[in-house]
Amino acid sequence: MRTLLSFLLLALASVVAAISTSGNRLLVVLDDVADKATYSKFFADLAEREFKITYETPKSDSLNLFNLGERTYDHVLFLPVHTKGLGPNLTPMTLLDFVNAQGNILLALSANTTTPTSLVSLLSELDITLPTDRNSLVVDHFNYDITSAADSHHVLLLPAPKPVRAGIKDFFSEDAGSKLIAFPRGVGAVLGNGELLNPILRAPPTAYSYNPKEQAEVVDDLFAAGQQLSLVSTVQARNNARVTVVGSAEMLQDKWFDASVTKLDGKPVVQTFNREFAKRVSGWTFQEIGVLKVNWVEHHLEEEGAPNDSNPEMYRVKNNVSYTISLAEYAWDHWIGFNVPESDQVQLEFSMLSPFHRLNLKEESRRLAAVHYHTVFTIPDQHGIFNFKVNYKRPLLSNIEEKNTVSVRHMAHDEWPRSYAISGAWPWIAGIGATVSGFLGFVALWMYSAPVAAKKVTVKKTQ
Amino acid sequence: MRFTQALLLLAAGAAQAASSWSFDDASVSVAAKKGSDAIKEKFSQKAPLTKPVGLGSTDTVKVILTAKEDGKAKRPHQAFVTIKEQETGLEAPFPLTVKDTGKAVVSISQKDLPVQFLLSTKPLKASVVIGSFGEARAVNTPVFDIELETDPNAPVPKYEAPLRYGKKPEIHHIFRADPQSPPKVISLFFTLAVAATVPALFISWLLLGANVNHLTKALGAAPLSHVTFFGSIVAMEGVFFMYYTSWNLFQVLPVAGVVGVITVLSGTKALGEVQSRRLANER
Repeated sequence: MRTLLSFLLLALASVVAAISTSGNRLLVVLDDVADKATYSKFFADLAEREFKITYETPKSDSLNLFNLGERTYDHVLFLPVHTKGLGPNLTPMTLLDFVNAQGNILLALSANTTTPTSLVSLLSELDITLPTDRNSLVVDHFNYDITSAADSHHVLLLPAPKPVRAGIKDFFSEDAGSKLIAFPRGVGAVLGNGELLNPILRAPPTAYSYNPKEQAEVVDDLFAAGQQLSLVSTVQARNNARVTVVGSAEMLQDKWFDASVTKLDGKPVVQTFNREFAKRVSGWTFQEIGVLKVNWVEHHLEEEGAPNDSNPEMYRVKNNVSYTISLAEYAWDHWIGFNVPESDQVQLEFSMLSPFHRLNLKEESRRLAAVHYHTVFTIPDQHGIFNFKVNYKRPLLSNIEEKNTVSVRHMAHDEWPRSYAISGAWPWIAGIGATVSGFLGFVALWMYSAPVAAKKVTVKKTQ
Repeated sequence: MRFTQALLLLAAGAAQAASSWSFDDASVSVAAKKGSDAIKEKFSQKAPLTKPVGLGSTDTVKVILTAKEDGKAKRPHQAFVTIKEQETGLEAPFPLTVKDTGKAVVSISQKDLPVQFLLSTKPLKASVVIGSFGEARAVNTPVFDIELETDPNAPVPKYEAPLRYGKKPEIHHIFRADPQSPPKVISLFFTLAVAATVPALFISWLLLGANVNHLTKALGAAPLSHVTFFGSIVAMEGVFFMYYTSWNLFQVLPVAGVVGVITVLSGTKALGEVQSRRLANER
């Protein structure tokens, strides 16, 4: 009876659980612990996903991201603070060390507060540029909320974002329907050209950023406009640590979750998508979605009549080899099979110093928490040490790098086609046969022949 | 309820429609660097230019307009000329310098354009965006196209697309060609030519008087030796044949050794018998 009860409780717990793959210790840095109330729904959602949240102000003494060389928190969430700096425990160098130690950071900025210089330095290190005067506001005179910002136009209404390029997995626009994302009083950033930076939410083409204190009348020095302004930007480091910059902290507040908004020329009243969008952005940043894993890799010889034991260490040139890799993706609280996005491919490189083959892997079969990707190919006619390399790095997905090293040997002396099968060799084989038969005939003749009597030539005697 | 809602919406829409931004007295002109006469073309919100404006490498496009709210000239907060490249969708905004009276002007030359625009093959589309705070509806209209005239002598601007993660093109290794034999007909011809030498040899021997007349005499004198000797020579050829088809060296060498010893031992006797016939003047 007791075991039954505990089993039921365990089952119930696992149904509710939603655990990040990289730990659940979350630090929230905010100005005033009273700010918690304005974000209560957001924090309640995080607590429901099993995060252990610690709330600290930046100047508090007990705030320490590292203890004896190990991270004390797995994730950090920064809300806007009114202090100019973040204190000695949250220097840009400490935050970078935190990211290098695979900690994730979610930064929320606001147009109402000046961004602290240490955060601006951290972001410029990551190649995310904020306006230099640190006081800026994104407005759009075409896509704003009539009910709350009829004159000031600083509450942008945007549809749930689709991926910026084909081939990128869509995490944020599923099930959005006609709901819009409200982006009130936010800051836009300009992203550098690196491959690790990806915008999630970009400003509409008619939006622009200006400094309300100095450019209230006219915009003379434009920071950026249109889709160059990134409202929610992400960086995924090569160690899979994630940093997300949300331009408007107010979009995470209770009053914008499930609010009713009206867009100019749009449907009369539309619900905001902010709650679900905040869940997905925080889920991505804290490694609950978009995390990939390799279950196993298997390769073997695919020739008739040959042994096909798994993962041998040596192959021969021009062997047919079959390769299978099993990939899984984490979806909030459990692993599922990873489905490659449309128009994207997982590719296998068979390479020595540079790839000899780069082949698209096809989905072969599915299991409960795995999808198998498979191909069969012929080993090149070059001997040496080769690698089976699957190097799958994509925006918004964690990195997969699987390398298996094998030797590829030459043809052995008895693996070449025999000379009687080579038609060009027939005259030579005939020559050997002719020589042998001639020799045997000669031996027999020499041993067993009798001399031929010379024809007696009768010489006519002359008389 | 529905009716009043619709009426309210209509009224709101009507109220909105009443106040909106627009621009007037708009013109675009292209001036060469030397300051020669500019070609000036007028356009308006309802009548964009149909012909594209040509922009050379040293030319400057100047756009002049007067921004108006509800027909009165006023300074808007946002007055941009946005140029869009059609192939990639990239847009570049150029803010107009606006005076209090609403008169706005901006000059754009090729060096102000992003390098991706200079590599485009289609004309660039320019629009005017005017908007400001308050209830007045903002305006965003396409006004003219720009065709870039590149200087054929100037080098093509270099642009390297930034690295983006994604699938790469497939590579399939191209194998070296298998070694090939000549056509079988030629091989067969020469095989037959070689094989034909054997009967040619035997026939010419016969014509020269070849015979095995002493065979019975030799077998009578030393039957075992002769049979063994000749048999071991044939056996040696047989060993070579087995080496060609299936044996390896370690199987061949012992057998060849045994056959060789037999040849030597039987050979002394057999060739001794041949010597005896020679000494008897029969050879």
